[in-house]
Amino acid sequence: MNRGVEIRDLKKNFILTRWRGLRRNVVEVTAVDGISVDVPAGQSVAFIGPNGAGKSTTIKMLTGILHPTSGDVRVLGFTPWRERRKLAYHIGAVFGQRSQLWYHLPPTDTFELLARIYSLDRADFVRTRDVLIDRFALGSFLQTPVRKLSLGQRMRAEVTASLLHRPKVLFLDEPTIGLDVIARQELRDLIREWNREEGVTIFLTSHDAGDIEHVAERVIVINHGRVVVDGQVPAVRKQYLGTKILHVQFQEPPAAIDLPGATVLFRSAYELKLEIDTALTPVQQAIARVLDAAPVADIAVEDPPLEEVIARIYGQADAIEKEGP
Amino acid sequence: MKAIAKYTWIAYTAARSNLAYAAEAMSRVVFMTVVLYIFMRLWAVVYAGAVTDQLAGLTHRKMLWYLVITEAIILSAPRVWAEVDQDVRTGRMAVQLIHPVSYVLAHFVMSMGERVVRFGINLAAGSIVALILAGPIRLTVSGLALFLVVLPLAFVLDFLGNFLVGLCAFWLESTTGLAVIYSRLVMLLGGVFLPIEIYPKGLQPVLRMLPFASMIYAPGRMFVEPHSGLLRETIIMQGGGLIVFATLVCVVQAVALRRLFSNGG
Repeated sequence: MNRGVEIRDLKKNFILTRWRGLRRNVVEVTAVDGISVDVPAGQSVAFIGPNGAGKSTTIKMLTGILHPTSGDVRVLGFTPWRERRKLAYHIGAVFGQRSQLWYHLPPTDTFELLARIYSLDRADFVRTRDVLIDRFALGSFLQTPVRKLSLGQRMRAEVTASLLHRPKVLFLDEPTIGLDVIARQELRDLIREWNREEGVTIFLTSHDAGDIEHVAERVIVINHGRVVVDGQVPAVRKQYLGTKILHVQFQEPPAAIDLPGATVLFRSAYELKLEIDTALTPVQQAIARVLDAAPVADIAVEDPPLEEVIARIYGQADAIEKEGP
Repeated sequence: MKAIAKYTWIAYTAARSNLAYAAEAMSRVVFMTVVLYIFMRLWAVVYAGAVTDQLAGLTHRKMLWYLVITEAIILSAPRVWAEVDQDVRTGRMAVQLIHPVSYVLAHFVMSMGERVVRFGINLAAGSIVALILAGPIRLTVSGLALFLVVLPLAFVLDFLGNFLVGLCAFWLESTTGLAVIYSRLVMLLGGVFLPIEIYPKGLQPVLRMLPFASMIYAPGRMFVEPHSGLLRETIIMQGGGLIVFATLVCVVQAVALRRLFSNGG
């Protein structure tokens, strides 16, 4: 395997000390509980889970910020917590809620500083910077102090800042949080483009299903510090939600349609939106029945939104947890 | 060489960023001018009532210039403790640790970049006030050289003290109280308003042994009354203080980083 990210039985416990009067109460909390994952170089992975699932702790161990309690990690062949500074030259990170740009200075000043921090060759830096400025369309606000930028502009500059040293692995921690629909879509496209063209390994955490669908090819779901699902995005969707959405527009009002396992999501005189349980009614059969009901102006078969898939996985994981081993 | 360029550029960027706070710089200058004016009037009364033209070995004019230097130093102090406190509390530390830099060194050069700008502005404003209200004092190149030896070391010592206060955020709910205590100790025991020689005789040796005097009093005194004896005494105290503070920073940081938790993204 190409050197990407290799995680073996990674564990992290935190010791919490609480005082009740003069009594000291020590509690050990398990944040990450034996994660083992391989991410080949160039792959884009969404690392998702509910709040407190252990994703942030895992990312911080992969970047060398936190020491694990046990287990082994190799990122590009480095052990992050022992070789943090060496590894830092080869990885980049974007934290959606925390900025690395200097607030009172224009983005170009932070770029200049990062060129020194990463000891970049001047010609290489200028070439990469200009490519990124062009690709991320930063030209119009390059000289504007960061405090005056919109959130969308700032995030584009943040991602640019994290790519200047051409990292081989890019960690994105909720990069689209707070962005409007257009800015979010633009940023996703740019990240995906960079992943495909430059072969950067992407490690994405997000609560936004759209980020996962548009950026990642593989999804790893963790809950209570353990991996509960690991697979390709389409396969996970298929495995965890055996339903299809059938969206139909009729030319005239349709006759009543009775299908086993179908739930009406929306109905008007000329429009119908059904959720079909494909285990009970195959999609072809559902389409045939719909076509019989009235002349059809338009028809679409859609996958259910990934939010539902994720919600279902979390629900199942919690149920298994409650039942015990 | 690359490491020097890296940290120098961090300091330069911090200095440039600080210049963007024009309103804050102006308010500090106004505050300093008011404080200087009040203390200059007070010292005028004290010297008028004194039987000698020198107090603590300083003439009235030198005393006012001493005040200019000590005020310029104390009012140029960056809020390092608050930065570290916020890094710890909000998880911003993670953003800094992702870069190939030393956390302490990066903060150190940032605070130095900021401090040099602030000190320069304060000194310029204070000098104008002193020139108008007291007149010039005689400065020599060798005296200024001695001053420029002890001043940076004073800044380093103060940085380490502040940094230690900030690191306490790993254990304390808020470090504001500790920071207030630290800044008052620097002010009162460091000799911001009164040179050490004016304190009671029994207290003076104690104050000279503490690191605060070598942060404030020593550079102030060196500016108005430079001599090699003071340089020797200051260098010994600053060297000792640096060893103690730097060791404490290393130990506390090593222990603190093991307590680094990661919450919320």
